[in-house]
Amino acid sequence: MTEIFSSLYGQPDSQGPSGPSALGFGSGKPQVPQNMGPMCFPHQMVDEGGPIRKPSAMNEPFYLLRELPMENELTGHTNLITHYNLEHAYNKFCGKKVKEKLSNFLPELPGMIDSPGIQTPVCNNSFSPLTGVMLTGFRLHTGPLPEQYRLMHIQPPKKKNKHKHKHHRPQDPLPPETPSDSDHKKKKKKKDDDPDRKKKKKDKKKKKVNWSCYTLCMKIHVTNGLVL
Amino acid sequence: MTLQQFETLYSTTKDSVTKHVMAEKFDNLEEHLEKFVENIRQLGIIVSDFQPSSQTGLNQKLNFMITGLQDIEKCRQQLHDINVPLEVFEYIDQGRNPQLYTKECLERALAKNEQVKGKIDTLTKFKSLLISELGKVFPEEMAKYKAIHGDDPPS
Repeated sequence: MTEIFSSLYGQPDSQGPSGPSALGFGSGKPQVPQNMGPMCFPHQMVDEGGPIRKPSAMNEPFYLLRELPMENELTGHTNLITHYNLEHAYNKFCGKKVKEKLSNFLPELPGMIDSPGIQTPVCNNSFSPLTGVMLTGFRLHTGPLPEQYRLMHIQPPKKKNKHKHKHHRPQDPLPPETPSDSDHKKKKKKKDDDPDRKKKKKDKKKKKVNWSCYTLCMKIHVTNGLVL
Repeated sequence: MTLQQFETLYSTTKDSVTKHVMAEKFDNLEEHLEKFVENIRQLGIIVSDFQPSSQTGLNQKLNFMITGLQDIEKCRQQLHDINVPLEVFEYIDQGRNPQLYTKECLERALAKNEQVKGKIDTLTKFKSLLISELGKVFPEEMAKYKAIHGDDPPS
């Protein structure tokens, strides 16, 4: 290694001043070894510890002129969407209007999914079935849910077509097993209204009966009075 | 059948087989997810108006929920090579359509593509302009340069 180094920058004993200039730094220009031709540099000098001076930098007519980099076939100059056959996907997503809400992507999923998530999901836990002791924590109180929790699982009413908003659509026959759909609200409303309606009806009936009794009594009194 | 025809036939059949296999895996996962969601929905119905006789049904539904999660966990092994960007989950957590993420990705890619194309075109024009002007000022040197690197294609 030192032999090659010294041959490149001259003999340290016989040639040139001592110190750093022997390495070629003092003169500012490297000394080309006289034994070797201008174009021939031993391959070992490039391999061992990296090139000291690149041949192109020294021997080309233009200093520091390097070879052009390899031309890459795929650059930003080409339309990459066409190149990767994504035109159909581009037209599908960017040509049409994509709806904002998550419920438009998952229309069959029940519940209020458009609201932002509150809790981060818990991961990397094992799934083991619940034992009898664990299930005691799931003993619930009887009766309906409090009002604040009632509407949580009901989907928001879906927007109907604008052209048909004037016409009232007859309600579809409700399946017996879908109380959590939007009809559930109507059902619940009906259920809630029904006892009220019944009460009102009863009240009305009572009033009617009382009034009719009163009128009968009045009539009787009048007739009795007349008779008497 | 020539070699090229055989290669195209092989590649098309391979693509169709892989698509079919992937579709089966996704169908399997979708089926499990639908069952899980249905189970949760029925659980919600039971809870909305709870009766003492519904306790056994509730316990059953809770255990179905756990087995459903186990089944979904098993599906994960079949789809280990599917990568989903984390930003998609941010969209879902915000209650937004995940297709908007795809749309925005494509729009950003196209915008960046156009930007880079503009830079390449501008630099190519600059290079040709510089070479032509340098050729007027340093004709001999530019002739040597062109001899080394070859004639540049017209911009």
